[in-house]
Amino acid sequence: MGEAKSAGDWQTWRVLIIGLLVVAALIGGALIARALVASTPAAEESGRPADALAQSADECVVCHRSATPGIIEQYAISTMAAAEVRCTDCHQVEADYPGAVEHEGVYVLGSPTTAKCQRCHSAEVAQFYSSRHSLPAYVAYAGTQGLSPEHLAMYAAIPEGSFAPDKSRNALFAIEGPELTEFACETCHSVGDPAVDGSVGQCQKCHLRHTFSLEQVRKPETCNACHIGPDHPQWEIYQESPHGIAYMTMGHTWNWQAEAGTLTVEDFPAATCALCHFSGFGASGTTHDVGDRLTWYLFAPISERRPGWQDNMVRMQNVCRACHNQNFIADFYQAADQATLAVNDYVIESDRIMKPLKDRGLLTTEPFDEPIDYTYFELWHHWGRTAKFGVWMQGPDYTQWHGVYEVLSDLAELKAMAAEKLAGPREP
Amino acid sequence: MLAAIHPRLAIVRRLPLTRDQCMLLMAAVNEIFLGIDTYLAHLISGTIRPNEWIPIVFGLAAGLALLVAGLIAIRNRPLATVLATIVLLASIGVGLLGAYFHLVRAILPTAALGERVSIDLLVWAPPILGPLTFALVGVLGISAAWVESPPDSGVLALSERRRLRMPYSKTRAYFFWVSMGSLATVISSVLDHARTGFANPWLWIPTAVGVFTTVVALALGFLEHPRASDLRIYFGSMLLMILVGLVGAGLHVSVDLTEMNVLVIERFLRGAPVLAPLLFCNMGALGLIVLLGPDQPD
Repeated sequence: MGEAKSAGDWQTWRVLIIGLLVVAALIGGALIARALVASTPAAEESGRPADALAQSADECVVCHRSATPGIIEQYAISTMAAAEVRCTDCHQVEADYPGAVEHEGVYVLGSPTTAKCQRCHSAEVAQFYSSRHSLPAYVAYAGTQGLSPEHLAMYAAIPEGSFAPDKSRNALFAIEGPELTEFACETCHSVGDPAVDGSVGQCQKCHLRHTFSLEQVRKPETCNACHIGPDHPQWEIYQESPHGIAYMTMGHTWNWQAEAGTLTVEDFPAATCALCHFSGFGASGTTHDVGDRLTWYLFAPISERRPGWQDNMVRMQNVCRACHNQNFIADFYQAADQATLAVNDYVIESDRIMKPLKDRGLLTTEPFDEPIDYTYFELWHHWGRTAKFGVWMQGPDYTQWHGVYEVLSDLAELKAMAAEKLAGPREP
Repeated sequence: MLAAIHPRLAIVRRLPLTRDQCMLLMAAVNEIFLGIDTYLAHLISGTIRPNEWIPIVFGLAAGLALLVAGLIAIRNRPLATVLATIVLLASIGVGLLGAYFHLVRAILPTAALGERVSIDLLVWAPPILGPLTFALVGVLGISAAWVESPPDSGVLALSERRRLRMPYSKTRAYFFWVSMGSLATVISSVLDHARTGFANPWLWIPTAVGVFTTVVALALGFLEHPRASDLRIYFGSMLLMILVGLVGAGLHVSVDLTEMNVLVIERFLRGAPVLAPLLFCNMGALGLIVLLGPDQPD
């Protein structure tokens, strides 16, 4: 009778028992497999991306593996290669395409333009076109001459394009000449060059070809290629800021390959350049417009509020709020606004010192041909900007000793120089 | 079968639709949701390529066509069956084609031999099982569109003269279908959650429930005469699937809302997919419809 009862129990619960056994077996097996994989030394090496082109028969790959093997090695481990984007998808064009060159029976662009990137990344290119990294970067060294009506319209629609462009243009570019500027100003500012096909900019300035690595473009070292040095030392300021210290000490543990647009503090527990200015983070969406979250024209001699700065501020503060409370953020913004205005006052004072010289014709018409031009220029272009960047990025040494102190020093020097000029030539 | 689970459930027999009609209605709704889901999924890259529009347009069109077929069936059942069969066969084609496209994105045909297929690629590439849902819905719809006569005989009446004897009754075939659907759901869920490395141990719950439901439905398919206890366990597992789906959808929304509960569309597109957990609900609902029985309503 007992046997009959147990057989009856089995009949009643057979589906449940089988189901639970399979669940236990599968999940147990998965956990064991997971533990085994984690304890295998080879697991540490599995982070290296697969070589998607190792045995490719594509004629571009086959030939360039000998001609330019570095490019093939870089592209082979890229997500673009894994997604089966071929060399010809970006390089090959029609014979009559502007800038096309004949190559092995086809026509190609040696360096694909933004128009080629735009075919797949239309939203990113549209955001980039609205940014300071596009035409304003070019106009800052080359001016607006030669731009097409479409380019001029695009430039005028960009906030930086409508803000005193001539005033901010650097005359040193013309003085130094193309032999030098090709290796100097243009190296960074060509990020916004117009291309012969009418598109604007060079995506590959930040997204280094041919790997197009998410990690590479997210790391602050990529930005330091240009944002470094006395006029805009963002890299140096970042290194001494709490955010930079967190990156330098713990950045190797962060999730650099995390899915774009879904980043949280679990991926990036402190800010990087990309996180504040580009990444979708907290309640702000991804953007390729580097000015989209900025409230001031900090690059200008006398900083003014940007158009729609309140919206920009909300977007930036949405990022800040992932780590900081609103009181902290509001206090910081209020103090940084005041500091920005204080630096403005110094630059206004330098203008006041220079005004009588200009009014009385005591300055030459040529820029950068006498010492006072350099002192007057460096006061705002180097030290004034550095002080403001230092404030907003929390780099105290750059706010103080490489910023405000140098402004004060130049003001004293400027006063002496101006007084000397106003006094007229000394008696022999 | 519902009455065998609990006498009070016999009240469901008053539904105006037959089990097959309910299944076809679910197939139509599924096609529409698949179109919407595919649209959202294909938006992730920012640009929808021409061939990526195929499942989007097809899903919406197929869903509407099936609803129209349902209306036609009121007056002309044979015509409706032909129309539905064409749409559902096309759905199978779209599903298989999509699975192929997704599969070739998950393998590296010209990579070194040991690197052509990797877990990382399978996890991060477009989901291979995603498009197969179109094929599954196609198979389900065809199963529902073809009349079984007499009920539970396994004989399908393709036309007045042509009949096809299947190895299993429609009820058992539906159990198998629910099992395969649950399997696809659980594999899809595992691959999605693998992106997070299963860091959150609660993620094992949908996996366990999905596997359990797959096994239970499969067992019901193999049993020629399931007992009331078998049906009760099956019924419970379907309710669990629905519960997991609802809780999962809520959790996915909460993850996408960010820490400050702010709605950022980008996070819904690229973050935790809100519609994905509802696939558990979908399978649970389909599993429950099977229990309506072949002769419902009287």
